[in-house]
Amino acid sequence: MLAAYLQYWKINLLTMAEYRADFFMWFGFTVVYHGSALAALAVTMLRFPSMNGWSLREMFFLYALWMTAHELHNALFFNVVSVPEYIREGRFDRFFVRPFDTLFQVLTVPSRTFPDGLILGIVTLSIATNVAGIHATALTILTIAAVVCGGAGIDLGISLFVAALSFWLIRVDTLRWIVMSLEQDFTRYPISIYTRGVRIVLAYVLPFAFMNYFPASYFLGKHDTAFGLSPEVGLLTPLIGLLWTALSYAFWNVGLRHYQGTGS
Amino acid sequence: MTPFTPYIEYARKAFAREATYRIELIAEIGSLVLRVYLLRSLWTALYTHNVAPMGLPLHSMITYTTVALLMSLVLEVDGTRVIREKLREGGIAVDLMKPIVVPFAYFSDGIGQTLVHAAAILPSLLFALLLVHIDVPSLPVIAIFFCSFALGYGVNFFVNFLMNGVAFWTLETFGLQLIVRWISDLLSGQILPLSFFPGWFGRAVFALPFAAIYSTPLLIYVGIIPPAKWGAALAVQAAWLAATTGASYLLWRAASRRVVVQGG
Repeated sequence: MLAAYLQYWKINLLTMAEYRADFFMWFGFTVVYHGSALAALAVTMLRFPSMNGWSLREMFFLYALWMTAHELHNALFFNVVSVPEYIREGRFDRFFVRPFDTLFQVLTVPSRTFPDGLILGIVTLSIATNVAGIHATALTILTIAAVVCGGAGIDLGISLFVAALSFWLIRVDTLRWIVMSLEQDFTRYPISIYTRGVRIVLAYVLPFAFMNYFPASYFLGKHDTAFGLSPEVGLLTPLIGLLWTALSYAFWNVGLRHYQGTGS
Repeated sequence: MTPFTPYIEYARKAFAREATYRIELIAEIGSLVLRVYLLRSLWTALYTHNVAPMGLPLHSMITYTTVALLMSLVLEVDGTRVIREKLREGGIAVDLMKPIVVPFAYFSDGIGQTLVHAAAILPSLLFALLLVHIDVPSLPVIAIFFCSFALGYGVNFFVNFLMNGVAFWTLETFGLQLIVRWISDLLSGQILPLSFFPGWFGRAVFALPFAAIYSTPLLIYVGIIPPAKWGAALAVQAAWLAATTGASYLLWRAASRRVVVQGG
């Protein structure tokens, strides 16, 4: 299985070398996507220096933490998003006749995914850590790395859960859009700016706040004003990521047993 | 049969085609309402903890943001995407042979698609009003706002036309187009008022065509552009409309000589 996985990345990298113009275009796309989000944040905070007690430097770290976790998820698990499409078009069934785990096969469909976003994320996070004045000891760096992996796990767990729902429901696009919007837009700001119901959703139901808000509060030594939790909860991220991935994988397997194809 | 009949037919066809994606339309309304909530939370938090900028109190800011989101329902429709698709699939050759003015046909197609999305404005507005209060200016202001919005719609259409027209030279334009879209979202005043940009850059953004798309109608709506300056503001928009139309005409003339068959 490992050999097959390495082979998959080898093919990806060879494709990248072949379609160089494409690669640069998508790299530019990733840069502009995150760049315009950060630029909007910076311009806003020139006028309004305090975001519920968070400074621009701290907000930069908050964003970079989410960005890196999300890009790690995109680099390794992006294909999960395509599952509803595979099922709708009947392309999912071929995964049953091959001697590999179905999820593994979904993750290794060649799709020209390059880890460019991840590299950009790591660079941005390093800069942001510095800018935010976090003292970077070896232990801190390892903890941040663990949080990023945990964040990617949360991302994977939730997208796998939505994908698994499509074994029962043919159309999950609407749900997926709303979940994506909750993740991409709502994680940009400290959750303390939202009303209580939304905070609860982001902390306990779809725990996107553990991708960045709670761990960032911990690293920056800020008080959590959303729930008044102790800052150490931010260290739970890897555990929550693992838990969500495990539960979603179990749910995925239940879905697989239920799955009968759409007949297309 | 008048000379306009084929174009009205194009618009009707596009309307019917686009209207079949009902679930996407519901998703669009859902994600818009989420963003209205998000931006209400954001600006409320920012205004609570900082000094409000001159001339733009919180209620104006929330009105600005909400109206911008409603406008985006219409302005984010890329009516000329059809050019790219037709180029890829070869349909453009057939269209060029028909006794029609092809850009007009595509414009009608775009109008048809736009009308479907315009139908989402009313339900979106009703849901938005559950979350926020929107200032309603006097009737003349609203009338001028709609004139300015119409000019902005034209500029937006031709900017898209130019972007899609690039596909005549390089077929892979999707990434490029998304890049331009995000830059233009930021520089058009959709995400934040252009007056927030600092220094010379703040003055330069007003001189770009993007400002004609969102910023001008919105500043008229919230009253930052006073009645005395309406004429000048609309004139600048009209100038941009003329410039982008002219550029589109030149591009189209050069491009239609370049149509090459790429097989398939």
